[in-house]
Amino acid sequence: MTGLILIFISAVLVNNFVLSRFLGICPFFGVSKQLETAIGMSMAVTFVMTVAGIVTWIIQYTVLNPFGLIYLQTIVFILVIAALVQLVEMVIEKTSPGLYASLGIFLPLITTNCAILGAALLNIQLQYTFIQMLVFTIGSSIGFGLALILFAGIRERVDLSDVPKYFRGLPVAFITAGILALAFMGFSGLVK
Amino acid sequence: MRDNNFKMVIVLTVIAAIAAFVLSFVYSSTKDKIAEAYRQEFLRALVKVFPNYNNEPDKDINIVDGQNIYIAKMDDKVVGYAIKSTSSKGYGGDIDVLIAVSTDGKITGIEILRHAETPGLGDKIEDEWFKNLFKGLTAKDNIAVKKDGGIIDQFSGATISPRAVSEAVANGLKFIDDKILGK
Amino acid sequence: MSLIKIFKEGLWKNNAVFKQVLGMCPALAVTTSAINGIAMGLASTAVLICSNIVVSIVKDYIPSKVRIPAYIVIIASFVTVIDLVMNAYLHDIHKVLGLFIPLIVVNCMILGRAESFASKNSVVKSIFDGIGIGLGFTFALFILGSVREILGNGSILGFTVTGEWFKPAIVMILPPGAFIALGFIMFAINYIEDRRKIKNAPKEHCSVG
Repeated sequence: MTGLILIFISAVLVNNFVLSRFLGICPFFGVSKQLETAIGMSMAVTFVMTVAGIVTWIIQYTVLNPFGLIYLQTIVFILVIAALVQLVEMVIEKTSPGLYASLGIFLPLITTNCAILGAALLNIQLQYTFIQMLVFTIGSSIGFGLALILFAGIRERVDLSDVPKYFRGLPVAFITAGILALAFMGFSGLVK
Repeated sequence: MRDNNFKMVIVLTVIAAIAAFVLSFVYSSTKDKIAEAYRQEFLRALVKVFPNYNNEPDKDINIVDGQNIYIAKMDDKVVGYAIKSTSSKGYGGDIDVLIAVSTDGKITGIEILRHAETPGLGDKIEDEWFKNLFKGLTAKDNIAVKKDGGIIDQFSGATISPRAVSEAVANGLKFIDDKILGK
Repeated sequence: MSLIKIFKEGLWKNNAVFKQVLGMCPALAVTTSAINGIAMGLASTAVLICSNIVVSIVKDYIPSKVRIPAYIVIIASFVTVIDLVMNAYLHDIHKVLGLFIPLIVVNCMILGRAESFASKNSVVKSIFDGIGIGLGFTFALFILGSVREILGNGSILGFTVTGEWFKPAIVMILPPGAFIALGFIMFAINYIEDRRKIKNAPKEHCSVG
């Protein structure tokens, strides 16, 4: 049980997906201009990442490994993710128009979010069991959301302040992310 | 519309079939080379941990309790044993360590086979000075970081990685000491 | 548009990292040293050129509705090929780049070029675009890797370049350093380009500034 808690804390804070593993950087900078969109994106990622983690884990251990098709891993995983995103989009559109209105625009972006494929590949690389995989995936997506929402909050304030001319826009955003990453490094001492 | 859907399915199937065909071809033509590269990597580690030998320890294997024991021989006389030991307490996941022990129970060397520790901090466990700390130690020594009352130096900013390595080394050494040398 | 112009635009004006902010994950993650940056850049370039070629050949046969999945399959195949070949022949570099080789699949730069260039242009043009964008990406990773290696380790391409007095700031090769280094490089680019604009602009514009 302590092992699971360790995996969870490590995924959320210590080895944060965005700030320490550099996965999901594109949406991190792309949709962090407003707090509201950041929250929408985090929810969409959490959902897709968890479902994709479960499906790819099952495929790895029931199809790819037994049949010696490990070299097809990348191509199968990305297709599963692309198909899942389509499916999720269709289901949400039919069942919950409200949710679709808030998540809809983020879903197509998720296919090329390396956090999803990264999590799926890491689950296999770290040889996680099903339960560990579940904890790791949920932790990772929470970590992604946490970083994204914090960053969006900071950026909204940075926009209001007087930034030197050549730092405006992306340069200051990157440096802000750097400082946030420094802060997250402080969590290193947490896992003893 | 149906015509169009039909074409879509055909096109995707054809592309996927070609991709699978090309990949299986590339895979079968690189498979042996990749296996050889992994073997060379392991052999390099063995050369480092054993003082001298002239057999092929990666093929001279003794399986004890499901663990592979790699045996180094000099002119058919056994000079040492090596074992892969894993600690799950690493910072970025499992750390695999190769530990070699001479016939009189002293560690002749260790190598880190796999780790995912933080670059610049935890990955110092790969530095020679750190790996040399374990040389000459026996099962009587307290192999643990100083923070835990042992004799291994941790380094500033990272206690977790050296602790995990120490744990792996201590377990591996104990295994060889109990199951092979102790007999 | 001449081929040279396509190449040049890819290299600088449309630079994937500095201008379009694409392919950020590998750009930040593997650039702990200059050599890693080059290796990652070249691996991505190889995939980009191959996928550009294939996409521009098959573009007319693919119904537009399924073009994205089709491109992804093509890109993923080439990534797997590169992954296998590197594992066999460049084993040590493969070990360092690790997870980020399969992740070339989701490098938006590659899908982006397939969608916005290769699917609209001839094979030859697509090749030049692939080389230009790819080398621009490699160049960006090399710069970022060099800056981080010099500041964080006092060396470049493995050779120590700073004196005894220099105390490397380890933070530069840790994750936060990646963000900070890129931020300052982008600042430098903004500054230099703006200066050049002022220099080249007619005089009356100068007096306004």
